[in-house]
Amino acid sequence: MAGNPFPQSKEQLLQAYRTMRTIREFEERLHIDFGRGDIPGFVHLYAGEEAAGTGIMMHLGDGDRIASTHRGHGHCIAKGVDVVAMMKEIYGRKGGACEGKGGSMHIADLDKGMMGANGILGAGAPLACGAALAARFRGKGEVAISFVGDGASNQGTFLESLNLAAVWNLPAIFVVENNGYAESTSRDYGVAVDSYVDRAAGFGLPGVTVDGTDFFAVHEAAGEIIARARKGGGPALLECKMVRFHGHFEGDAQTYRAPGENEHNREHNDCLKKFSAAVSSAGVLTADELKAIDHEVLGLIERAVTEAKAAPQPTAADLLTDVYVKY
Amino acid sequence: MVPLSALPTTDTCLGVIANPVSARDIRRVVANASNLQITDRVNIVLRLLQAARAAGVGRALLMPDRGGIRALLERHLKRGDASLPQIDWLDMEPTSTVEDTFTATRLLQRAGVAAIVVLGGDGTHRAVVRELHAAGSGLPIAGLSTGTNNAFPEMREPTITGLATGLYAAGRIPPHEALLPNKLVEVRIDDGNGASRHDVAIVDAVITHDRSVGARALWKTGSLAAAYLAFCEPEAIGLSSIGALLQPVGRRERGGLAVQIAVAPADALTLLHAPIAPGLVLPVPIAGWQRMAPDEPLPVQQRAGTVALDGERELSFEPGQRVSVTLREGAFRTLDVARCMAVAARDGLLRTSPHP
Repeated sequence: MAGNPFPQSKEQLLQAYRTMRTIREFEERLHIDFGRGDIPGFVHLYAGEEAAGTGIMMHLGDGDRIASTHRGHGHCIAKGVDVVAMMKEIYGRKGGACEGKGGSMHIADLDKGMMGANGILGAGAPLACGAALAARFRGKGEVAISFVGDGASNQGTFLESLNLAAVWNLPAIFVVENNGYAESTSRDYGVAVDSYVDRAAGFGLPGVTVDGTDFFAVHEAAGEIIARARKGGGPALLECKMVRFHGHFEGDAQTYRAPGENEHNREHNDCLKKFSAAVSSAGVLTADELKAIDHEVLGLIERAVTEAKAAPQPTAADLLTDVYVKY
Repeated sequence: MVPLSALPTTDTCLGVIANPVSARDIRRVVANASNLQITDRVNIVLRLLQAARAAGVGRALLMPDRGGIRALLERHLKRGDASLPQIDWLDMEPTSTVEDTFTATRLLQRAGVAAIVVLGGDGTHRAVVRELHAAGSGLPIAGLSTGTNNAFPEMREPTITGLATGLYAAGRIPPHEALLPNKLVEVRIDDGNGASRHDVAIVDAVITHDRSVGARALWKTGSLAAAYLAFCEPEAIGLSSIGALLQPVGRRERGGLAVQIAVAPADALTLLHAPIAPGLVLPVPIAGWQRMAPDEPLPVQQRAGTVALDGERELSFEPGQRVSVTLREGAFRTLDVARCMAVAARDGLLRTSPHP
């Protein structure tokens, strides 16, 4: 073994694995609990897409802002939002990230730079432009990142934001998480020019496409793009080609998928399997170290669910708290 | 309406592999590399097919994709365009990976096409050549550059490439005048358990200190350990420029070039400033270089790292695995577009009687 061959330190690799594993177990637990009827509202699971959120967010600090999507749990966890508070929020309980009044699609934690999951498709991009403008005025080299799916990239808000970011040279980064389906519509039917890099080029932004199931590819490309934006190099687009393991929402029958597609993806396109194989074969992380993290994460998720179920629901008296802000 | 100009149509079939995802890598951000948009790639396919039809090609067989080329081309075809040959799509399910190029090359060989026109960068051309070389096929390719970091394919107006390829495919120019032999570098990794991996580079096989292929594109000179070059021309961009600016080796010249790169400038024989990517002229500490003789395997000294093939990190290797490289001559054939057009002029191939 000739030392660590990866550009990331061993601590960073452990952090990456812990984050991806936490997202995976969080989502797989929600899949079970939602099926049992324990969770109110809708959930859209990020399982399968962990490498993208993790590889990007590892370059960010709390001062960097992100605007997430309806499929936002992975972004929240990777950005450092407390997992127990997230679980309480999704269960609709007090002590949740938004005191149990937002649910899955409105988790936010401004202290962590997480401006919110968002149930409105394409709505995060203008928010990221605003955050990026604020960051530029603050002058500390902070950036803002908007996540958008391949379907929502057709929204006018997204395209207008590319334009605005280019015109104002904002430290804004647009991440297209391309999992191939806009809800149930294959991108083959819904996107006129299926290259998000081309869309960026139309506004004068550089764009890069990476394998979003490869943590190392995402981490390296995101690092360059974010460093460039911090130095005043301006906005850019990063397309992560990826797969989602579950339906658009929990309960989705997924009749639009080819037979065996999910099984194939779990076998061949699992970002956690790819990561584990890479770090293990290089001898940087041992099977025991990975197992210890698995064990630790399962304990965390179990504790989060237990605490969420035990927490009280908001009452009518809580209805208007945290709604209005005094300036 | 401009009258159609075409030589008599033959039943010959031309293969086309147009890669929708080349030139999408990190060099757009780190090196201001350009991006050829899908709509322009479709325009290139249309121009080359129109010219091939004018030269007598009756049918074209294309690789399907999910990157937008097929979708936009079919939108065009629905409007009706008599200037094109009959267009059919290979029966394959696109995966949007390099596997598509491998599969399409195999299917085009099986379909008996006369030649394959390739749109893409060095990487796409490498993928086509890898399949042809593995099959021992003499099927010629005609390359069109759609990337920015390319040493292999030519930057040429596709109309001319389409005409030249069409004239050859239709049997109007014989192989001995139309085609040229090419070199490549074979890479072999013995995994230490009796198994081995094989691949090829058509320009450069570069050994790096990286152990992860990461974002694949290679642009940091600090990670370079050695470069094995099938050819290196001083006017070319990319990693082969490292050899080209030390000792140029032509495409048809015998042998190749092996360059050892020092870990630190202090250990270097010379510090070379090479255009290793668009916009990036970077210092490379050179430890030494020598010519590569054909068919003689060279062991790679690096104990662990990655092998970048034609600019992209593709294969990683660990201590205990042994890497060797071998230069091969006459490994595959390409269409000599300039020569074909000269033959067309010499023999009046594009002349017909003004009195029908």
